[in-house]
Amino acid sequence: MSRFLRTGIVLAISLTLIAGCSEPQTRDSVVVAIPTDPDGFHPHHSVAAASAEIAFNIYEGLVKAAPDGSIVPALAEEWSVSADGLEYTFTLRRGVKFHNGREMTPDDVVYCLSRLFDPEVTSKAADFAGVKGIRAQGDRIIITLHRPDAAFLALLTEFGAVIYPPENEENLSTQPVGTGPFVLTDWQPNDQLTLVKFEQYWNPELPRLKQVILKIIPEPAAMVNSLFTGHVDLIPRLEPDYLHQVEGKDGFAVLAAPMNLVQLLIINNAVAPFDDLRVRQAMNYAVNREEIIQGAAWGKGTPIGSNLSPAMDIWYTDLTDMYPYDPQRAKELLAEAGYPDGFSATLHLPAPYPLHRGAGEILADQLARVGIDLKIRVIEWGAWLEQIYTNRDFELTVVGFTGRLDPHTMLNRYQSDSRRNTSNFSNAEYDELLDQGLLEADPAKRVEIYRRLQTILAREAVNIFIMDPNQLAVMPEKLKGWRNYPVYVLDLAALEWEK
Amino acid sequence: MMYLLKKLFGMLATLAVVSILTFFTLFVLPGDPALLILGTEADPGALELVRAQLGLDRPVIVQYASWLGGVVRGDFGRSLTFSRGYAVADLIAAALPVTLPLAAMAIFLAMAVAIPLGTLAASRRGKTADKIILGFSQAGLSIPAFWLGILAIQFFAVRLGWFPPGGMPRWSADPLGALNSLILPALILALPRAAILTRIVRTAMLEILKEDYIRTARGKGLPETAVILKHGLSNALVSVSTVAGIQLIQLVAGTVVVEQVFSLPGLGRLILSAVLLRDLPLVQGTIFVGAAIILAVNFLLDSLYPILDPRIRGVQ
Repeated sequence: MSRFLRTGIVLAISLTLIAGCSEPQTRDSVVVAIPTDPDGFHPHHSVAAASAEIAFNIYEGLVKAAPDGSIVPALAEEWSVSADGLEYTFTLRRGVKFHNGREMTPDDVVYCLSRLFDPEVTSKAADFAGVKGIRAQGDRIIITLHRPDAAFLALLTEFGAVIYPPENEENLSTQPVGTGPFVLTDWQPNDQLTLVKFEQYWNPELPRLKQVILKIIPEPAAMVNSLFTGHVDLIPRLEPDYLHQVEGKDGFAVLAAPMNLVQLLIINNAVAPFDDLRVRQAMNYAVNREEIIQGAAWGKGTPIGSNLSPAMDIWYTDLTDMYPYDPQRAKELLAEAGYPDGFSATLHLPAPYPLHRGAGEILADQLARVGIDLKIRVIEWGAWLEQIYTNRDFELTVVGFTGRLDPHTMLNRYQSDSRRNTSNFSNAEYDELLDQGLLEADPAKRVEIYRRLQTILAREAVNIFIMDPNQLAVMPEKLKGWRNYPVYVLDLAALEWEK
Repeated sequence: MMYLLKKLFGMLATLAVVSILTFFTLFVLPGDPALLILGTEADPGALELVRAQLGLDRPVIVQYASWLGGVVRGDFGRSLTFSRGYAVADLIAAALPVTLPLAAMAIFLAMAVAIPLGTLAASRRGKTADKIILGFSQAGLSIPAFWLGILAIQFFAVRLGWFPPGGMPRWSADPLGALNSLILPALILALPRAAILTRIVRTAMLEILKEDYIRTARGKGLPETAVILKHGLSNALVSVSTVAGIQLIQLVAGTVVVEQVFSLPGLGRLILSAVLLRDLPLVQGTIFVGAAIILAVNFLLDSLYPILDPRIRGVQ
């Protein structure tokens, strides 16, 4: 063996050893890949989904969301609602400890929620405009409302409504202190976050792991590579474009479930020719959703016909057959509307979302077949939010609306005067019905109202509702306890390695 | 001394211009930081509150003045993206131990390759060795770094497992691991610089080898190696060092791409995410520090000229 070759082999072996040393993996910890940093952990100031999904493991509110979308006890053991729907009484769980070692008191709950309800303190107060007051009575918390609000309890499951010790208010953004199963012990921005098991968590069964490291890896390709080399154990949200690399790979499991996101082509209903119902209907007839789901999401998605995902369970009504794929009918409607030769328009696609860009490209191709010629313009996210979302200076765009637990918060953006009404939709019947939905106490009647609201959106062909893409979670088969939610959270507490 | 003072003054003036340009460019660009923070749930009341919390409701001039006032006191303000939880200075301080060694390794690798290869090519001008070296240099210039980076990760990290596929442990926690995760990105970053520098060294050497004093050196019977190394290379290095300084600027730009591909928590990635999120104080701070580093390197090179080249010393 030549000396050169020998040196090479020694070098290779030592480098391999160095690489091996940096692997932190043991049986009671897991490394999770996330694409971006959270925007801080102060429940009243942080608004990024990336924060809320991690905060789910650090903090808790009175109630929280369960994997099936129901609302379950957290810091409140139980609750009741008065017959008129105006008074909510929560009984607090006893002996709950904060991460700083102190026991949680009813005063802490009143402090945190009073701040949440105060529009001077947080932008999140807008959701709670109907709250009249909050007070503690023994170990009970009583919240009164100005008028019945059927969506109220669901809002209390969100990140903004968590309870923290007031003495830690100052540094909560970077050093969160909650009552959740994990404690954030270290955060290196642009690099990683370390969560460590909270030994005094009120539920002694959880969490199962001692440590979770959240590694920030912006490139999806790098996430997949790190999974294969064992530097990462779990990719909670895989870009569908990378599915083929992991699907069928030995020892790895891909768990797909609806993510409760409404992907849609937003139509600006206020500008010609889209102010004509027939044009919007024609566009809906021209679209083949299955083809988009295959082409943009590799088959991992559920077609939708209105602004709710099937993940919303009882609230959802299937309207996908209102406009079956029928290019001929589309051409007829276009001719009726005065566009026998079609027309051209601009389609803006948000740069950071490959799924929306992919869907938009396929949509443009499908619409071209009925004579609608779309010029695609890819636009940076900051510019999208300003030009399209806020100023509504656009014709067509593709984006996704994140699902909430209650249908009201998903559907109220279509109310005529809503500032989030990007489609410029306006319908008196819809506006009135939406208000009724909040006041209705009878669950069955409420379901009926939200089904009618979805039907109006579909009938008026407000947008082209495309799909609820699946959330694709990838992990080694030996990692158990993954739970999928219809809200944007990452539940790390039940994860454990198979013995 | 006057020479250095003049340079120092120019450097400060450049920094001031850079800071004004970045500040106002970000205001002209579409994209509102408050809107980016609130996303598709934004409503006017919430926007107003967030703008006020971020201090964005003040006039641009006032914002710039308050920023500049802070910088003079060494305070770059707080980043908007982490609910104002992190000081810009701390974020930059955490990123520098990634980017500076990366850039230093890359420029060192580039020089270590370029100087011998360029000298060899010049001394074998027109012969096979020269042609091969020029061919490699052409290839090195044409291959995009991000593509080569992805291939290198696939082969050396995923297939062979020699290097981690991305990320980097902290120096204090695992110095060997940290060094190891910088090797591949430094190589990728060095390649195009090495390719250019090889050509520069070769050209500079060819110029110098035509000079009279080289003929004199050869005439007095010095061995060819001594002529090339002692009389040729040492003189060629003056012009090479200038180009190396310019290369360093491109290197800093290159780290943006390479740090993204290799998921390294460095300055380049910090700049990119700051720009995308319209995190004004962070963009200002990172660009300011980046510019300051480049200017400092140039200043160092400028102060080296008098040592490398006695003629500049004479001018003073």
